[in-house]
Amino acid sequence: MTSPGDGTPVKPPPSFSPGAALASSKSRYTDGQEVTHSIDTELTEARSVSSPTAPLSATTAELPIRSASPQRSVRSSTPQLARSSLGSPFDGRFDGSEDIRSLIIRAFSPTVAVHASDDTDELVRNKGFKGGFRELVRPFGETVQGKVIIRDSVGSSRAWEDFGVRFVDLKGFGRSPANRDSGRDSPLAQTEEVLEKQLNSAEGPAGAVPTKDVLGFPATTPLCKLFLRQLLASTSVGPHETFGHPVASVITISSRNPAPLETLRQLYAESNTGDKRLPEWVNQEYLRYYVLIHDEERDDITESTKLYDQMKRHFGLHCHLLRLRSSQCVVTDDDSVQVPQCEWLSPHERLSGAGEAGMFTHPELLQTSSNAQTETLVDLGTDSTPYLFDSDVTAIKTFIRELIVQSVIPFMENRVAVWNDQVASRRRGISGRFMSMSRRWAGFGSSSRSGIGGSSGGGSGNYDPNQNFYGPDSPEAILRKMADFAVMLRDWKLSASTYEIIRSDFGNDKAWKYHAAAHEMCAVSTLLNPMAMSAKIKLESVDQMFETACYSYLTRCSDSTHALRCLALAVELLKSRGGSATESAARWAMRVMDFGLVGSVGQVLFMERVAACYASKTPAGGAKWGARRRKAGMWSIFAADQWLKLGKPNLASACVEEAERLYAEVLETDGVFPMPEMQAFVDNLRHAVKVEYLEARGFDARDESATHHPLDTEETSEKLEKIDKRNHRRSLIGLPGQLDAGNLKMTATARESGNSPNDDFERA
Amino acid sequence: MSYYFTILSPTDTPIFNIAFGTSKGGGDGIARFRFPDTAQYMNQFIIHSSLDIVEEAQWINGGMYLKHIDTYPPAAAYISAFLTPSGARFLLLHQPPQLPSGTSSGLGSSSLLGSSASTTRASSSSVAANPTSPQTEEAVRQFMNEVYESYVKTAMSPFYKQGMEIKSPVFRTKVTGAGKKWL
Repeated sequence: MTSPGDGTPVKPPPSFSPGAALASSKSRYTDGQEVTHSIDTELTEARSVSSPTAPLSATTAELPIRSASPQRSVRSSTPQLARSSLGSPFDGRFDGSEDIRSLIIRAFSPTVAVHASDDTDELVRNKGFKGGFRELVRPFGETVQGKVIIRDSVGSSRAWEDFGVRFVDLKGFGRSPANRDSGRDSPLAQTEEVLEKQLNSAEGPAGAVPTKDVLGFPATTPLCKLFLRQLLASTSVGPHETFGHPVASVITISSRNPAPLETLRQLYAESNTGDKRLPEWVNQEYLRYYVLIHDEERDDITESTKLYDQMKRHFGLHCHLLRLRSSQCVVTDDDSVQVPQCEWLSPHERLSGAGEAGMFTHPELLQTSSNAQTETLVDLGTDSTPYLFDSDVTAIKTFIRELIVQSVIPFMENRVAVWNDQVASRRRGISGRFMSMSRRWAGFGSSSRSGIGGSSGGGSGNYDPNQNFYGPDSPEAILRKMADFAVMLRDWKLSASTYEIIRSDFGNDKAWKYHAAAHEMCAVSTLLNPMAMSAKIKLESVDQMFETACYSYLTRCSDSTHALRCLALAVELLKSRGGSATESAARWAMRVMDFGLVGSVGQVLFMERVAACYASKTPAGGAKWGARRRKAGMWSIFAADQWLKLGKPNLASACVEEAERLYAEVLETDGVFPMPEMQAFVDNLRHAVKVEYLEARGFDARDESATHHPLDTEETSEKLEKIDKRNHRRSLIGLPGQLDAGNLKMTATARESGNSPNDDFERA
Repeated sequence: MSYYFTILSPTDTPIFNIAFGTSKGGGDGIARFRFPDTAQYMNQFIIHSSLDIVEEAQWINGGMYLKHIDTYPPAAAYISAFLTPSGARFLLLHQPPQLPSGTSSGLGSSSLLGSSASTTRASSSSVAANPTSPQTEEAVRQFMNEVYESYVKTAMSPFYKQGMEIKSPVFRTKVTGAGKKWL
């Protein structure tokens, strides 16, 4: 098998010097300085976002001028599409929808199981990683250094910069608590809990933290992204989809091992037949990769090299010698590098590891939020964030790159080609169609199979209705796996067509979970495929697929986690499609609220999403009509109302601000609604937000002690105005008086820039 | 069904508002929206937001009556629109009664039998419980036409200037009458 990466040296090519890598994966590092570096790009990017969320600068007075240029938004929507179809998926990293797309794409990454010997884990534990080897490599696996070239089924190759894999522990695989779908432990409840925690921690003692970007409104709020990421990370491993099933398994020993080859054999046997065998619905044909960890400080390199050569002779090419130092690295060491934090922590891990470094992994949040959070980070950073030596980091990165580029991807490409050839093409051909048709009319086709086919009502008989899964060798399971591989390799054309083949089979077999998952992924891959979809009919079929998936998940399997994931994907992907798809995205978001799949925080988040969906609908062809500003504004106002009810005045004020901006274009006079009751409601809301915001910041204590109560706005509005002016005056003389939106931003910026050197100090 | 009817001037200012309920099928003609009484602003929000769609639909649809143009799913509110040549827009929000727990309507609080009887009666009338049915469209069209007639007469009054709020009690009675007759 010729891999595209065969010829390339192990080290990343020079064009991916650390600087370039940093800039490309900016959202992953919490570097304050970098924010300032990329301000220009981000500014331009933010302006060209197709939504009307042009950067909102200092004062709201400027609003109408800024957002009243539909032409700009029209222009921007075209390059976005063109860009995504042109190849480099990375250009638009900073603009909202591309960012979300990348997030979704990365959510479907291959899984690599880690099977380490005890001596390896002990070595790694000495380095300060309690979780063993997997914990050491996991954060690095989420982004592979440099470009990864993947060939699709038609043979054209494409480079990706944001490729990654998930490392999981083979020991705990598939043995996660089985019934977590209800009660407090369900992934959904946990996701909600994480959100609340994040909200509360962002609140901090100093009061409100503007979660929006410094430069104005990003198309997606960080909280929303956190929600989506949590949701995508929370789905448990099951038979009906193979994204969580290992594509490869890394078997690791260290140079301390007295009987290395025997241990390797034993580990292999354990994973194959022993008690660490994967559940029977997992296809056992995955790649084995052997790693020898050489302890630089205690062991002799010549011995290790000899052993490594021996390993190569025994196991072939899929071997790697990883040279690590065994002593623990501390911050004060010369070449210490902080270990990047995991991006894809499941809600469960996030909650249990709240005291550890896992909590504040969100670059967006770190970047944008101010001192409250950074302080927490400082606390965490000093004691529990592990550090590594620079040489170790380089070694691990090289190892992972080699693993992926030279072994995992060629293996997956090969499997897809083989299955495509052997299984899928048989189904695609005319005889395959006839076979599946005749099977449906029970009697003809089922004669070749055992009698089960007849009894299960014309099903193929490969589905085991008692245990609810297909055997891993049945054509259905293999096709599903092949399609999933294609998704992981980002060949969405192949995956969509494969899901298309199998989705009706699952329905015939009454394998409802498979049925739902295949429909979901079929729609998702159709939407992810940049080439497809121009006709409206296609959009309708996608809607139909989501509808079916959702119905199967909810009604037939009562699996709300997957249903919510499916709907959230529908919302985000349809929204990123633009045009009339945004309206159907908004409709799905409303469906989520209607189904009651999310808790109170989630409800508001989806309200914001509805607003964002409508806001991203741009007028057609330069005409003045066709936008959905009023709808977007309405939803923002409602979201603000809900945030206020949840006691988050900072978020509410951000929403009000957004609404004002959206309404600016459609209202005759700025901020004056033609309808009296609307006007009254919006005015009340604004006042309430102001009052609560001030209270949260402790202004009442300083200005006029105990003057107002947040609820009776009518009574306090006069006083408020007094405070209002006072604060304006204060803001002029430089104190943080943040009554209106603009000031809030300015101070945020100021604080941000004030903080960035601090960050640097921490990282250094 | 509950209705909220608004006439908007070309500059989006409301010049006439009325809320009423169905008089068909034993309805008493009093509006009972799904929002709590403190949230009546919702109607205006929904009407206002549907202007986006009106603006789009008026270029696509050639007729004066644009039919059902918009829906607000969370509250099951449906919007129908009618354009006049002078640029005024008639917007009718209609909302079917809440079936499972209509505590305020008094009908839903009775037994299942009672509520089902009321729905069958409602569906036998011209305006069915389904707001997108052809019968509803037709009834709304008739209503709009009748209101349009009285609107033209009112607007021709020498004391009325374009864009002014319509305060004429005669007009109000006529709209109420049309609502009773058709909806």
